[in-house]
Amino acid sequence: MNNKLLSGIGVVALVIATFYFTSPNKNYKDLEKQLKVSYVLHNPDKKLPFFSLVDHNNNKFDNNNFKGKWTLLSFIYTHCPDVCPTGLMDMSILKSTLIKRGINIVPNLVAITFDPARDTPGVLKTYVTYFDKDFLGVSGDQVQINQLIKPFGAYYERVVYAKNGKPTVLKNDEPLPKGVLEFGYLINHTAWIYLLNPDGQIFAGFPAPHNPIKMADDIELLIKNY
Amino acid sequence: MFNKTKKLMLAFTMLTILNVSTAMEHHHTNYTTTEIVINDPWVRLSPPNAPALGLFMQINNNTNYDIKLLSVNASGYKRIELHRTVAQGDMMKMAKQEFMPIPTKGKLHLKPGSWHIMLIGPKSVLRKGDTVMIDLVFDNGLTKTVYAQVRKEKKMTGNHHRMMY
Ligand SMILES: [Cu+2]
Repeated sequence: MNNKLLSGIGVVALVIATFYFTSPNKNYKDLEKQLKVSYVLHNPDKKLPFFSLVDHNNNKFDNNNFKGKWTLLSFIYTHCPDVCPTGLMDMSILKSTLIKRGINIVPNLVAITFDPARDTPGVLKTYVTYFDKDFLGVSGDQVQINQLIKPFGAYYERVVYAKNGKPTVLKNDEPLPKGVLEFGYLINHTAWIYLLNPDGQIFAGFPAPHNPIKMADDIELLIKNY
Repeated sequence: MFNKTKKLMLAFTMLTILNVSTAMEHHHTNYTTTEIVINDPWVRLSPPNAPALGLFMQINNNTNYDIKLLSVNASGYKRIELHRTVAQGDMMKMAKQEFMPIPTKGKLHLKPGSWHIMLIGPKSVLRKGDTVMIDLVFDNGLTKTVYAQVRKEKKMTGNHHRMMY
């Protein structure tokens, strides 16, 4: 009798444990209700695909650079006078806020360009370190960048304006038309900031416009429950 | 010699502008001496290699008709464009505009994430506190010269303004 009860409890415990460990998402979904400005993007079934890019010091930047530390990441382009500088400034404020609160995390600050044709490592270095000396700008192969942004749900489109003011959207998977680099183009793009966990996986996302203080509140909560 | 006079004149003009705008902010009345009044023009302080700079301000139209800002002129840039950032779903679109509309007895607020003037290809690096002279050309034949201050973010103009950037 006792044995049966014990094994019964064992089965129930096993079921709960299995459920708990195989779908941590459920856990975060409850947590998500308490979040002010973020979305949990954590999905253990969808690992970040392998990528290999170049950082602003011309060093290799790949999945390993996201490991062992929390990372704040955004996708930018330096010809952006409005949305991107605001986002980079917000990330810097967010970093200092987290450090000030002593949450025990000092996140990596990473900005990957949508636009490696113009944003070479050298260009990125001057640009991003202006917002925070700890920023790391990342450039590299356009095809790899196009692949990398997909699991984040990020996307962009280049727009060229003709002399008469008519806009044309360029295809991302085709080479840039001749003369476009000199004439210039704008990029419409998503402007989320992402939080990656120390396993190098996408963990949470913050849509624009950003409020660094509320973001810090959410991150505090997320990390405490990680 | 000439430079000195120019600097003095600039300082004088700036003082005048400053007086007018502080007076306006304090009294919140519609009393103005001109048909178009520009408040708080500023250029976003940007990295030294920034290919484009954002210029922001408030344009008040005190006339009895709608007006349009048609173009902006300043020396030291490859090109100057009128832009508007709009959110379309998740995407932030920065679209070139033919003009900026300022409704009669109303205003247009140029600010980050919204309407802005884009100074493309600056020939020199702007530093904090620098002043940029800019001509605004309107469709009613008026041209306004403004002196925009280079600074990091929007300054607080009062408690009723939410500081976003
Ligand atoms: Cu942008």
